[in-house]
Amino acid sequence: MNKKNVKFTLNGKPVTLTVSPSATLLDIIRDELKLTGTKKGCGKGECGACTVIMDGIAVNSCLVPIMKVAGCHVETIEGIGNKEKPHPVQEAFMDLGAIQCGFCTPGMIMSSKALLDKTPDPNREQIREAISGNICRCTGYVKIEAAVQAAADKVKEENSK
Amino acid sequence: MKEYKVIGKSIRRLDAWEKSAGTGTFTTDIYLPGMLFGKVLRSPYPHARIKKIDTTKAEQLPGVEAVLCYKNSTRVIFNTSATMTTTVPPMKPVLDQYIFDNVVRYVGDEVAAVAAVNEKIAVQALELIEVEYEPLSAVYDAKQAMTSDALEIHSDCPAGKNIPGEIIHLEMGNLEQGFNESDLIFEEEFKLPIVKQVQMETQAAVAQVSIDGSITVYSTTQTPHPSAQILAHIFQLPVSKVRVLNPPYLGGGFGVRIGLSGKAEAIATELAMKTGKPVKVVYDRKEDFIASDTRHGGYVTVKLGLKNDGVFHALELKANLNTGAYCSFGVEAAGVLGAMGLSVYRIPHQVYHGHSTYTNCTPAGAMRGFGNPQAMFPIESVVDMAAERLGMDAKELRLKNIIKPGDKWVLPYPCKSSGLPECIEKGAREIGWNNRGKLNKPGDKIRRGIGMGVGTHVSNSWPFCVDFSNALVTIKSDGTIKVASGVVDMGTGTKTSLAQIAAETVGVYDMSKVSVTLADTESTPFEIGSHASRSCYTAGQAVYLAAQDARSQVLEYAADYLKERMEYLDIKDGVIYSGNEARISLAELTEYAHLHNKQFLGVGKVVPSNAPPWEAHFAEVEVDTETGQVRVIKLVAAHDVGKAIHPVIVEGQLEGGLVQGMGYALSEEIRYNDKGKQLHDGIHKYMLPTAEDIPEIKVILVEPHDPSGPYGAKGVGETSLVPTAPAITNAIYDAIGIRFKEIPVTEEKVFKALYK
Repeated sequence: MNKKNVKFTLNGKPVTLTVSPSATLLDIIRDELKLTGTKKGCGKGECGACTVIMDGIAVNSCLVPIMKVAGCHVETIEGIGNKEKPHPVQEAFMDLGAIQCGFCTPGMIMSSKALLDKTPDPNREQIREAISGNICRCTGYVKIEAAVQAAADKVKEENSK
Repeated sequence: MKEYKVIGKSIRRLDAWEKSAGTGTFTTDIYLPGMLFGKVLRSPYPHARIKKIDTTKAEQLPGVEAVLCYKNSTRVIFNTSATMTTTVPPMKPVLDQYIFDNVVRYVGDEVAAVAAVNEKIAVQALELIEVEYEPLSAVYDAKQAMTSDALEIHSDCPAGKNIPGEIIHLEMGNLEQGFNESDLIFEEEFKLPIVKQVQMETQAAVAQVSIDGSITVYSTTQTPHPSAQILAHIFQLPVSKVRVLNPPYLGGGFGVRIGLSGKAEAIATELAMKTGKPVKVVYDRKEDFIASDTRHGGYVTVKLGLKNDGVFHALELKANLNTGAYCSFGVEAAGVLGAMGLSVYRIPHQVYHGHSTYTNCTPAGAMRGFGNPQAMFPIESVVDMAAERLGMDAKELRLKNIIKPGDKWVLPYPCKSSGLPECIEKGAREIGWNNRGKLNKPGDKIRRGIGMGVGTHVSNSWPFCVDFSNALVTIKSDGTIKVASGVVDMGTGTKTSLAQIAAETVGVYDMSKVSVTLADTESTPFEIGSHASRSCYTAGQAVYLAAQDARSQVLEYAADYLKERMEYLDIKDGVIYSGNEARISLAELTEYAHLHNKQFLGVGKVVPSNAPPWEAHFAEVEVDTETGQVRVIKLVAAHDVGKAIHPVIVEGQLEGGLVQGMGYALSEEIRYNDKGKQLHDGIHKYMLPTAEDIPEIKVILVEPHDPSGPYGAKGVGETSLVPTAPAITNAIYDAIGIRFKEIPVTEEKVFKALYK
């Protein structure tokens, strides 16, 4: 099989990998790099569990051929917060009961973060649209929507300090 | 009433940080050294005999390490469902499945499996397996499967053609007399769809076989202990040599893996046994859809007799459920449909007669609500019809007839509490019930309507099935608490709720000092597992008893240590008090104890009672009379949950279920074409609600004390979608005057009904 090299930035660090060009970004993230925070729920771009942020845009990593990632900045759930300082979206998900089984959670958080990075003051429709490609079967989305709103409010408050 | 320190508080979930950081491990995340990947060849036919199967080419493909089919795999017959593993004699379990058989009975049925060094090679190998099928005639409808034209899908059905197990018959009073004495009788048949759990993590297992023959299976099961029993049975191993665990997280369940996860555990285990290497089997989403249990569709008939004053007098409920190609939970689901359907209203003369029927559809098994939603859509529709005919308010008619504590009912345990009247009144106020029938002007193209439905459920499966729990609560040498219970946390907050129960009971209020081991047969005592809304109620009782036991041991030891009388001592916030005087911290005492050869190890064992949760759902809808589109504007769910141990978790359970109930009413369905192929086999094709479909949702918690549960808690997990569909269809009737007797009420059905 013809392997190729691909370079991109992953969670702020440059990576160079030798990959099978038919692999998807999700295959590489999960199977090669073992970053299992990004979940696979369908492999067809239908559930959003594999959402990562690529150059500022939330994408289904299962639909992105790895060679398309060359030169891009990719953020995964592992890269957006840490033990000392969770990302405000993570914090809000924890505080408002937006997490149940947790399988959609990383993708849901990444879609929400991508929204807030671009639209710090989203309205309800914008929040719903941003997460409409992320299926959650546990929560009915009620507390998720509230958590995204709360995270937006918190970011706004922090920025205005 | 005693003020609780931890119970009733919506603390941060114990699993929140791991799950939001992406570090929580699920079965699909497990990678073991040397691990192989298993893939399954599935039948393209709904019913066929395998005339010939040749796996030689697949075996020769480099990278392939094993190929299994019916010829070289175990021939022990089993049932993937947990309860058929614990059938109490003289009842006989329905055992009707092999891992692979020489007859396939639905599109998706297992034909063969491959283990290879990677998934790609495994998939290539499947394509090299040569199978010759002899197609047999197939049937997809529960009524047709009972006719003389239909083939026997399984022989040996003593209850009737294609009827697995037994016919469930429940009876109270004298039905004939009841109808003779009734002034009004309504009889209607309803048709119910096949729907799917669509839990986010697909069915998965990773099996590892040790050199001594013991096996470890990381699994997506909701019931590790019974699943270990099923595997021990299939592979004829001592149960003590089978370890089943969640690692520890589970991406949802909703009933789909009470027992095995499809057949993932069995296939992974047999491939691991053949190869001597760990094997991972993960169903893709299509396999999950077509080859793991659905909810039962089928037919339900309601015949209700009333007196002129609106008093219910006789009820006959009949069900014929489509259980698909294998029985799974077909007997129990038909039982719960009847038991719950008969137990909402006080009706002196009542009969239920119901069963499942084999067809060539995907097996139907457990899904949240377990037969109860199939009962309540029909019943609550008929109650609304009766109210209209009597000229009575539908809410008042329900209030007049609902079961009250102490009433006689068909269930073999007493009704000790009901908050249903309060649920109905509070929910009605929230939805604006008094506006019912007054929301539209003549000529409105968008018409609005309000509807309601009520129901009950269980808090575990006692006394219908074997149902008991054991738990351990250990006080560690530093005074922290470790809970061990064999239930799972599939998102339901079990880990957190059990920790709260232990913390409150022992008297340690800092939740960072409490941790919980769940879902591992190696480190937890036997436990039936997470189904029937039982984890908090039943495992919670075991944890409560274990925590009390540990606490007593601490106090007894402290009494000796402090030279105090035990009855004067108390543990509050991790400190041992004598009266109001703080004497010694729990940490100091346990450290001292450990240095003097003593650990406080509490054991809790419970055969539970049962307690009915109650619920009233209200919906407001808008129907576009030009397109047939129904939009739910608002859903109100008022629930008697007993004591809410963690109100936010309880709300989350209700909100999530409510949205599943909305999908059940309006959009979700798996249909079949005439070749037996599932037409809805992926998330895009299967119309489940997304974030953009969510109406305003209001959840109301009513908390009457029930004496049987831990701190008064009742089961919650399943109640949230029991009467949602009838609340919505009754609202549609209020809006446009059309009564739908088949769900989902799709745009197309409404349009056709409006313009037929």
